[in-house]
Amino acid sequence: MVEAGRSPNIEILSNARLEALEGKPGQFVARVHQEPRFIDEDKCTACGMCTMYCPRPVVDTYNERLEVTRAPHIDYAQAIPSSYYIDAKACLRVNYETCNLCAQTCTAKAIDFSQKPKEHALEVGAVVLAPGFGRVDSSVLERFGYGRYPDVVTSYEFERLTCASGPTEGHIVRPSDNKTPRKIAFLQCIGSRDETCGNGYCSTVCCMYAIKEASVAKEHEPDLDISLFFMDVRTQGKGFDEARQRAQEKYGLHVIRARVPRVEQVDGMLALTWTTDDGKSHSDLFDMVVLSVGLDSPEDAQSIAELADIKLNHYDFCKTTAGAPLATTREGIYVAGAFQGPKDIPESVTQASGVAAMASELLAESRNTCTISVTYPEEDKAIEAEEPRIGVFVCHCGVNIAGTVDVKAVRDYAGSLPGVVLYEDTLYSCSQDALKSIAEKIKENRLNRVVIAACSPRTHEPLFQETLRSIGLNPALIEMANIRDQCAWVHSQEPEAATEKSKDLVRMAVAKARLLEPLAQPTVDVTPNALVIGGGAAGMTAAISIADQGYRCVLVEKGRKLGGNLSRLAWTLDGQDASSVLDSLKKKVKDHPNIHVQLESQVESISGYVGNFTTTINSKGKTKVINHGVAVLATGAREYKPSGYLYGENNRVMTQLELEEKLKRGKAFLKNARNVVMIQCVGSRGEDLKHCSRLCCSQAIKNALMIKEHSPDTNIYIFFRDIRTYGFHEDLYREAREKGIVFLRYMPDRRPEVVRRGRGIAVKGFDRLMGEDIEIPASLVVLSTGIAPGDNVELAKVIKAPLTSDGFFLEAHAKLRPVEVAVDGFYLCGLAHGPKSLDESIAQAKAAAAKAVIPLAKGKVAVAPIVSQVDQKTCIGCGICESLCPFNAIRLVKVNKRRKAQTITASCKGCGICASHCPTLAISMGGFTDQEILAQIHAFSGGKCEDEA
Amino acid sequence: MSDVILGFCCNYTSSVDVDTLKKAGLVPEGLRIKRLPCTGKLEINTLLDAFEQGAEAVFVAGCQIDKCHNLSGSQRAAKRVGYAKKILDELGIDPARLEMFFASRGETEPIVEAARHMSSVLSDAESIHR
Repeated sequence: MVEAGRSPNIEILSNARLEALEGKPGQFVARVHQEPRFIDEDKCTACGMCTMYCPRPVVDTYNERLEVTRAPHIDYAQAIPSSYYIDAKACLRVNYETCNLCAQTCTAKAIDFSQKPKEHALEVGAVVLAPGFGRVDSSVLERFGYGRYPDVVTSYEFERLTCASGPTEGHIVRPSDNKTPRKIAFLQCIGSRDETCGNGYCSTVCCMYAIKEASVAKEHEPDLDISLFFMDVRTQGKGFDEARQRAQEKYGLHVIRARVPRVEQVDGMLALTWTTDDGKSHSDLFDMVVLSVGLDSPEDAQSIAELADIKLNHYDFCKTTAGAPLATTREGIYVAGAFQGPKDIPESVTQASGVAAMASELLAESRNTCTISVTYPEEDKAIEAEEPRIGVFVCHCGVNIAGTVDVKAVRDYAGSLPGVVLYEDTLYSCSQDALKSIAEKIKENRLNRVVIAACSPRTHEPLFQETLRSIGLNPALIEMANIRDQCAWVHSQEPEAATEKSKDLVRMAVAKARLLEPLAQPTVDVTPNALVIGGGAAGMTAAISIADQGYRCVLVEKGRKLGGNLSRLAWTLDGQDASSVLDSLKKKVKDHPNIHVQLESQVESISGYVGNFTTTINSKGKTKVINHGVAVLATGAREYKPSGYLYGENNRVMTQLELEEKLKRGKAFLKNARNVVMIQCVGSRGEDLKHCSRLCCSQAIKNALMIKEHSPDTNIYIFFRDIRTYGFHEDLYREAREKGIVFLRYMPDRRPEVVRRGRGIAVKGFDRLMGEDIEIPASLVVLSTGIAPGDNVELAKVIKAPLTSDGFFLEAHAKLRPVEVAVDGFYLCGLAHGPKSLDESIAQAKAAAAKAVIPLAKGKVAVAPIVSQVDQKTCIGCGICESLCPFNAIRLVKVNKRRKAQTITASCKGCGICASHCPTLAISMGGFTDQEILAQIHAFSGGKCEDEA
Repeated sequence: MSDVILGFCCNYTSSVDVDTLKKAGLVPEGLRIKRLPCTGKLEINTLLDAFEQGAEAVFVAGCQIDKCHNLSGSQRAAKRVGYAKKILDELGIDPARLEMFFASRGETEPIVEAARHMSSVLSDAESIHR
C-alpha cells in the first residue's frame, strides 16, 4: 500500500465512484465523481488533533462498530492516503455551518471546508475492476441470533477484537459483560453454501480464517475452549492443510463436522444443538459464538456491471471463463480479486499482477509515453567528502512527541554534540513545507550529514532520503532516531525519562552519522529477453503475455510437444472443451514472432544474476546457450501414481486423468457400468503426499457428472474426507447430489479398500450413517490421486530457489510476492508452485509475466545501496559466505590465482548473513558497517561521544 | 441428592441435552425430562403416577397455546394439568407442585425457567415421600 501511495505514476482518487465508462480499448474515458475529504492530503500530517477536539462522535465502521471515533478520523494508522478525512454526514461544520473546532486546532492548516465535489474525465487505455466483495445480508446473520444475542458476533468483529490495534487492544471479551469468555464456537458457512440466501457458492476463505482467528485467540487466552463447526474443512490453499493440522494440535481446537442450524440463548449462555454424520445428536453451551461470514458479491455489482457494460454470473460476481479468468466480457476491461469470485489474499494479489500484465499487453505500444520518471540533480561529491557537518532536526510531531518529550531540551542537547553545526526543532518534519525548509537549511549550512529525530525509519526514512537526493546529497547520509515510538509512546507516563532516552538516541544517531559514507547506487543493464521453462498451460500463457508486452522470449519444453497436463484434460471445470483452450494457446505460441520454442530441451545450468542470466540448455542432445534478463519457472507437476488399491493390477482401476482420457475417446465403455466408485485423497492429505491437491474434488465431481450425463442409470459412489469444491465449483457438488450421486465420508484411519471378488472387483468401506461396513461391487474404480511435484530438486539447486517441504517451489512471500522466487529475476507460476486449477494457473502465469516484464521494461535494475561489500585483501576465500547466502548473491572468483568472495550487488538483499559469519571480518554492510554500529554502542554506553574510527 | 423434578416436554420444545444444562449449572440436579410426541397425549394418570414414582414436582411444557404443532395439544394438556391439580389438592398435596408451561418452539430458556420455578416451589416444602 505504501508503495502504491508513493509511486509518482499512481494517482489515488479516494471517496470517488465511477459514473460512466465510454470509448473502446486503448481509448476509454472514465467519468469519476469524487466527494471531498475536507482535509488536504498534502498538508495533513496525520497527527490526530482534529479527532481529539471534534465534539461529534461517530461509530467507527472500520472497527466493526465496536468503538466510536469522531467526524474527522483516519480508519487505521497505515491507511493510504495517509491523511485524515471528515465524515461529511456527521460533521457539524459541513451540515450546520457551526463548530469549526478542528480547523482551528489543525496546526498544519490542512482542514479545508471550501472543498467541493469534483468531476474527473480520465483518459485511460485499460480498466481494472477490483471492487472487492460485499457483506452477507444481516437477515442471514439474524437467523443465528446475531443482533438478538449480544454474544453472537461476526468473524469481522472477532477479527477486530483479536487485533492488537483494535478496540480492546487484542483482549477477547464478550460484548454482553466485557468478560473473557471460556468457550467459543465458530459456525462456518454463514451466508455461503446456502441456497436459501441465494449464495449457493463456497466462500473459499472462511475455513482458513476461522482457524487463524481461533489460533490467535488461543495465543491470547490459552485457557479458551474453542470448537469449530464445519460442513467440510476446506483448507485447500498452499500449505493450509499443514497449518490447520498444526493449529489443531498445538491449540487443541475441536473440529466438528456438522452444520448448526440455530443459536439460542439460555440464561446468558448460547446453546447449540447439532447432528453428526453418524446420526447422533449433540448439544452444548458456549459463552460466545462467532459467525464465519462468507464473501458476498459487492453491493454495487449490478451498477458497476451496467456502467462498465460487463456481464455478471448468476451470483452477481463478474463473469469470466476458465480459459480467460481475468477478462470481463468487454475487451479492455479486466477484473481482479474477490469480484471475480471469492478468494484469499495470495490469489487476489496474484490476480492483481495478472491484470497488470493484461493491461500492459493491450497498451504495449504506448509504453513509457505518459509515465512520469523522477530525476535528481548530480551528486555533490565534494561536499560529501568534507569533514562531517551534521544537522539535527528534532520533530514535535504535533503533540505526538512534544506532548511527552521535551523537544527543545533534546534539540539543545544535540547542539552540544561534536560535529553538529545546526540543530533545530520542527513541528512536523514530514510535512511538505518542513521538508522544503530542511532542504534549504541543509544547503545554506553546507550540511553533509543529517540526523532526524522523529518517528520510524520504516515509514519515513525513504521520504527524507528523497529530500537529500533532491538537493544532490547521497541518500545514505541520513540517520533517524525514533524518539516517537521508542520514547514518547512507550514512556508516555514518564516524560523525564523519555526525554533522557531521546537524548541517548540522538547521541547515538549523531555518533553514527559522523561515520556515514555515501553509498553507490549502481544500476545493472538488463538483457531484454525472457526464458520460460515449461510449455504447459502456465508456461505458454506466460510466454504469450511477455511476447505480447513486446519482449522476446524463449520457451523451453522438455517433452516432444507443448501442452503439459492440459493436453490430458477433456473439460475445464466450467464445462468448456479443454482442447479449445489448449489449441488457442498453442496457436498463439506458434504464430508469435517474439516467441522461440525449444522442444525436447532441458535446462542444464544457469549462471548470472537478474538482468544478465546465461543459461545452457540441452536441446535434442545439442547444447545451446541463451542470454536472458529474467526467467519464469513453469515446470508443472505430475499426476501422482498410487500403490495399492489394485492400481496397475486390474484394468478397472484407474486415475481421474485416465478416466478423463478414456471419456474423451468415447463413452461406449459406460454401457455396462452399473456402479462407478470414486475414492478421493488417494495419496493426498497424509497418505504419501502431505498436501491437499486442491482440485481433485472438483475434478472427480465434474467427471462423475459427465458419466451421469451419458449413462444416467450408472450408480456413482464417491468416498471422500472433505469435499473441497471451493468457490463456484460448489454448484457442481450440489448438482451431483441432486442427480443422486452418493457421497460417503471416510476417516483416514478407515480408508476404503479395493478388493477382488470373483472376476470383478469391489470397494469395501464404512458407512458412517448406518455404522456398518459396506461393500460395493464396482464396474470401475476411479482414484483421485492428486498432484505430486515434478522433478524440481535439480532445477532448484541450479538457481538456489527454495522448495517447500512438499517439493513445490516456494514463493518469496505468500501474500506480498506470490509469483516471485526469493532469488531475483526468477518468477513462478502454474503447478510448479502448487496444485491449482486451470484458471488459477492462467491467472498466475499472467502475474508472473507482469512481474518478469518489470526489469525488462525498465532496462536497468536498480540495486539497493545496503549491500554487502567484500574487502578482498582480508578475504581468505573460505567460501562460508557463498554457501550461506540465501539469494545466490555471493560468488567466489579467482583474483591473482586466489579464491576471493565477491558480492553480486544486483542480487544482494542486504540481509547481512555473510558479514556476520565472515571469520576475518572482510565483509561489511553498506549503511551498517561495524564501525558505525560500534560508534553507536560506544555513544550509548559512554554518555559522551568517543571517536571510534 | 436433590429432589426429583420431572418435566414432560413436547417434541417441539428445546432440543438441548439436559446433561449439558446440568453441567453448566443452569438447571437443578434432580431434573429429569421425558419427551412426548405432543403434550396432548398426557393423561391425568400419567401425571399422578409421576408423583407416585418419586417425583417431588412435575411440570409440563408444550407449545405456545396458539402455535401448537398439533393445533390444540397444549390446550388439552393445560386442561388436564388443571384437573390433576384439583386431585392433588384433594389428596392434600400442594397443587403448586404441578404446573403447565408454554414454550416457544425450540427455545431452551423457558424449560430452564420452568425447572427453576419448580425447584423454588420445593425449596421450603417438605418431601411428600416421607
